[in-house]
Amino acid sequence: MAILIGYLATLGVYFCIYNIFAIGLNIQFGYAGILDFTVITFMAIGAYMAGVGSLGPAQPGTEIYYILGLSLPWPLALILGAVSAGVLGYLIGLIALRRLRSDYLAIVTLAAGSIIYGLVGNNTKIFDGYEGLVGVPQPFNGVLNLSPNTYDLVFMIFAAVIMLLLWVLANRLYKSPLGRAMRATREDLDVAEAFGKNTYRIRMMAMVIGAVFVGIGGVLTIWFITALAPAGWGTSETFVVWAALIVGGMGNNKGAVIGSFLVAVLFNEATRFLPSINGLPSLIPEIRNICIGALVILTLRFRPQGVFPERKAKFFELPLTGRGREREHEVVVTGAEE
Amino acid sequence: MHLFLLTLGFGIVTAAVLSLASVGLSLQFGVTNYVNFAYGAYLAVGMYMTYTCMTAFHLPFLIGAVIGILTAGIVAVIVDILVLERFVKRGTSGFFLLIVTFGLQLILLNLAQAIWGVGFDRYPIAQGKPLTIGPFSVTVAQLEVVGVAIIALVAVHLLLTKSRLGKAMRAMSDNKMLAQASGIDINATTLWTWFFTGCLAGLGGIALALNTVEFQVFTGNSFLFVIFAAVILGGIGKIYGAMLGALIIGLVVGLSSLVISSAYNVDVAFAVLVIVLLIRPQGIFAIAGKA
Amino acid sequence: MEQMKPILSVAQLEKSFGGVQAVRGAEFEVLEGSITALIGPNGAGKSTVVNLIAGALRPDAGQVHFRGVDITGYKPHQVAGHGLIRTFQISREYPAMTVLENLMVSPLGQTGEHLFSALFRRGHYKSEEREFVEKAIAILDEFGLYGMRNEYARNLSGGQKRLLELARAVMADPKMLILDEPMAGINPALISRIGEHMLRLKEDNGYTFLMVEHNLDVVERVCDHVVVLAVGRTLAQGTMSELRQDAEVVSAYLTGGSVGAGTKG
Repeated sequence: MAILIGYLATLGVYFCIYNIFAIGLNIQFGYAGILDFTVITFMAIGAYMAGVGSLGPAQPGTEIYYILGLSLPWPLALILGAVSAGVLGYLIGLIALRRLRSDYLAIVTLAAGSIIYGLVGNNTKIFDGYEGLVGVPQPFNGVLNLSPNTYDLVFMIFAAVIMLLLWVLANRLYKSPLGRAMRATREDLDVAEAFGKNTYRIRMMAMVIGAVFVGIGGVLTIWFITALAPAGWGTSETFVVWAALIVGGMGNNKGAVIGSFLVAVLFNEATRFLPSINGLPSLIPEIRNICIGALVILTLRFRPQGVFPERKAKFFELPLTGRGREREHEVVVTGAEE
Repeated sequence: MHLFLLTLGFGIVTAAVLSLASVGLSLQFGVTNYVNFAYGAYLAVGMYMTYTCMTAFHLPFLIGAVIGILTAGIVAVIVDILVLERFVKRGTSGFFLLIVTFGLQLILLNLAQAIWGVGFDRYPIAQGKPLTIGPFSVTVAQLEVVGVAIIALVAVHLLLTKSRLGKAMRAMSDNKMLAQASGIDINATTLWTWFFTGCLAGLGGIALALNTVEFQVFTGNSFLFVIFAAVILGGIGKIYGAMLGALIIGLVVGLSSLVISSAYNVDVAFAVLVIVLLIRPQGIFAIAGKA
Repeated sequence: MEQMKPILSVAQLEKSFGGVQAVRGAEFEVLEGSITALIGPNGAGKSTVVNLIAGALRPDAGQVHFRGVDITGYKPHQVAGHGLIRTFQISREYPAMTVLENLMVSPLGQTGEHLFSALFRRGHYKSEEREFVEKAIAILDEFGLYGMRNEYARNLSGGQKRLLELARAVMADPKMLILDEPMAGINPALISRIGEHMLRLKEDNGYTFLMVEHNLDVVERVCDHVVVLAVGRTLAQGTMSELRQDAEVVSAYLTGGSVGAGTKG
C-alpha cells in the first residue's frame, strides 16, 4: 500500500513538474509565438543552479567538481535556480528575438541548447560534466524525518502548491493587456510593432518569464530525484514538453494541464517502468521517442487546436445605449457587402 | 607556420564535407521555403546504409556508397509524400511546419538508432598512412572526400544551369507563385528537389563518416548546426553562397583548433552563425530587403 | 481648404536595396488636418516611402519630421508612440483574436502592459480596461462591426477586414494615419463608405491622412492635396485638378501604365 502511494505520488510530482514546463512553454510559444526548441535547457540550468546552491562545497579529493556549493536554504536555492534560468532566457533572447524569421529563431534556440549541453558535459569543473550532480539535499527532508514514501507525498503537495501559484500567475498574464499584447505579436509582429508595441521587449518578457517557469520546474526536478546529468535533458526531452503543449492545446493553460497528464505522465513516465528488452536497453526509449514524435505530427494534422483550443477573450460590457442604432448599421453593412 | 598550413588542410577537408550537406540543405530550403530539422537524419541514412552494405552484404565501398546515397534520397522523398506535403497542401503556417520537422527529426533519428544501434562504427576499409603533400598531411580517404565534393558541386552547378529541372528549381526558389504561373510543375519539382537534396545529404553523411573515421547515428545531427551556419552565412537558397559559406565555416572551424580544443568545433560554428545573424541575417550574398 | 502648418515633412529621402535605388530624394509635406494622397506608377517607391516614414525601413539619407520632432530612424513602435499610425497594403488583422480584442490591443501605453500590474495589481488597470471596452464598442458601432465583435477576425469578409483596420487604427487615438492602399480589392459601395469614414474622422476628430492610392477617382473625391512620385522622386504636388493639367504627370502615368485605374471606376 505504501509503495502504491509512493508510486502515485511520484507520478503526481512528475505531473506537476511537466505541467510547469508546459505552462512555461505556453507563455513563450502559446502567448508570444516564440519557437523555443530548447525548453529543457532552462530546466537544466534551473536545476543545476539550485543544485549547486543547495549542496555544500565540493570536497577536494573526491573527484567530484562543481561550482558554488553554497549550502543555501531551499527558498534561496529556488530563487537562484529561477533567476539563472531567466538570465539564460534573456541571453538567448538577445540573439534570437532580434526580429529574425521564425525559422532562424528556432535554429538559434536549438543550437544554443546543444552548445550549452556540450559545454556542461565537457567541462567537469562546472557541474561535474557528464557525471552530473548527485546527492542534492531535499527541502524539509532533514527536518521532518519522514519515510521515503511519505516524503514523496509531502513533496507532491509542495510541488502542487508551486504549480498552482504559477498557474494563477500564467492565467493572470494571459488575461492582462500585457498578455493580449503578447498574443498580438504572435499573430502579426509587424502590425503589433506598427501599433506602438515594443515587440522586442514584449517577446523578451515572454521568453524570460517562460524560462523562469521552466527553471522552477527544473529546481523541483533536481530536488525530487536529488541528481541530474546531461543525459536527462537531451533534445527528446524538449520535445516531450512540446508534445504536452500541442496535444493539450496551445494558448490555453488548461490544455497544458491535460497535455502534461496525457503525454508526460501516462505516456512518458509510465513507459519508463516497462521491463527493458534483453540486449537492447535503448529500444524502449527509442520507441517512446518515435511515438511522441508521431503523436505531435498526428495532432497537428488532425486536431491542430489540441484537446482544449484557445478560447475567445471575454470582456465585461455595459449595455450599449446605441444598440438600436447599431441594428440599422448592420443592415447597411450587409447591404454594402453583398 | 607549418602548423597553420596543416590545420588549413584539415579546414579544407571539413569545408568539402560541409559543402555537400550545405548545398543540399540550402537548395531544399530555397525550393520548399522551410527549414528541415530532420536533415541530420538523412546524413545518418547515407552513412549507415553504406555501412550495412559493406558489413552485412560485403559489397565494395563504392557500390555501398551509391546505395547509401540513393536510399537517403528515397527516404527524403517518402517523408515528403507521407508527411510534409500533407501539411504544405493544407497551407499550414511556417511555425507548425518547423515543429513537424522537429518531430520528424526525433522519429527518424530514433528509428535509425533502433536499426543501427547506439555504438560507434567505422567503415571496414584501410585508412592508409597519412600522405604528406607539401605542408599538408591528409589521408587518402580525405583526399577522396575533397575530390568527390568538387565533382559533386560541379554536377550540381551543371544541373542547376543546364537542365530544365534545375531551372525549375531555381525559379521556384526565387518565386513559387511566379514559377507556378509560368507553367512549372510544382509537385514534380518539389519531389525531385527532395530526392536530390536527400542524395546530397547521404553523400555528405558518407563524407562525414570518412572524415571522422568513427561515427554513430547522431553524428550527422550534431553536425547540423555547422550546416545551418554555412547555409545562413551564404544566404538561404543561394547555392553558390552555401558553397562559399561552407568554405568559410570549414576554414574557421579548422583554424580555430589552433587556438581552442576541437571539441568546441560546433561552438565555433555557432559563434560565426550568431555573428552573421546579428550583423547580416540575410546572408553575405542575399540582396537586402528580401530577407 | 487651405490649412495651417505641416504636420509631417519628408526631406531628401533616399533608400537603395542592393544597388537599386528605390527612393532618390523624395520630398513633400502633409498639412495638418488634410487628406493627402501619395500617387505614382508602380515602382515609384510609394510603399518604400511609407515604410521609411513609419520606421519599418531606415533611410540611407534624408529626414522625416513629425509634429516638429525628427523621427528619422525611429523604430516603428516609437513612430506609433508619437501618434503616427500606419496600415498595411494587405489587411493584416490579428486572425485568432476577436474583433473586439483586435481593437483592445491598440491603445498606446496601457497600464496593464506593465509586468507588475499584469501579474499582481489587476485592480490598477481594471477601470482603464473598462473605458477601453466602452470606447472600442462605440468605434465598432460607428464602423458597423458591432455585431461581429466576438467573431474571430479571420472570419470577417475582405471588406469587413478593411473596416477593422481603420477601426483598429482609430482606437489608437492617432494624430495622423498613413493608409497603404485602403481601397484595394473592395467593392465601390465599400470604397465610398471608407471615404466617408475618412472625411468624418477628419472633420470630427481632426485627423490627418496620408493615403497611397491607385484609384484616381477616389483621390479626387476624398483628398485635398496630391503628391506624385516617380522613380523615387517627387514629381509634382497640388490638387487633383491642377495635376490633370500637368503634362509631365500625365506622361509619367502613361509611361508607368496605371492611369487606367483612374479613368474606369
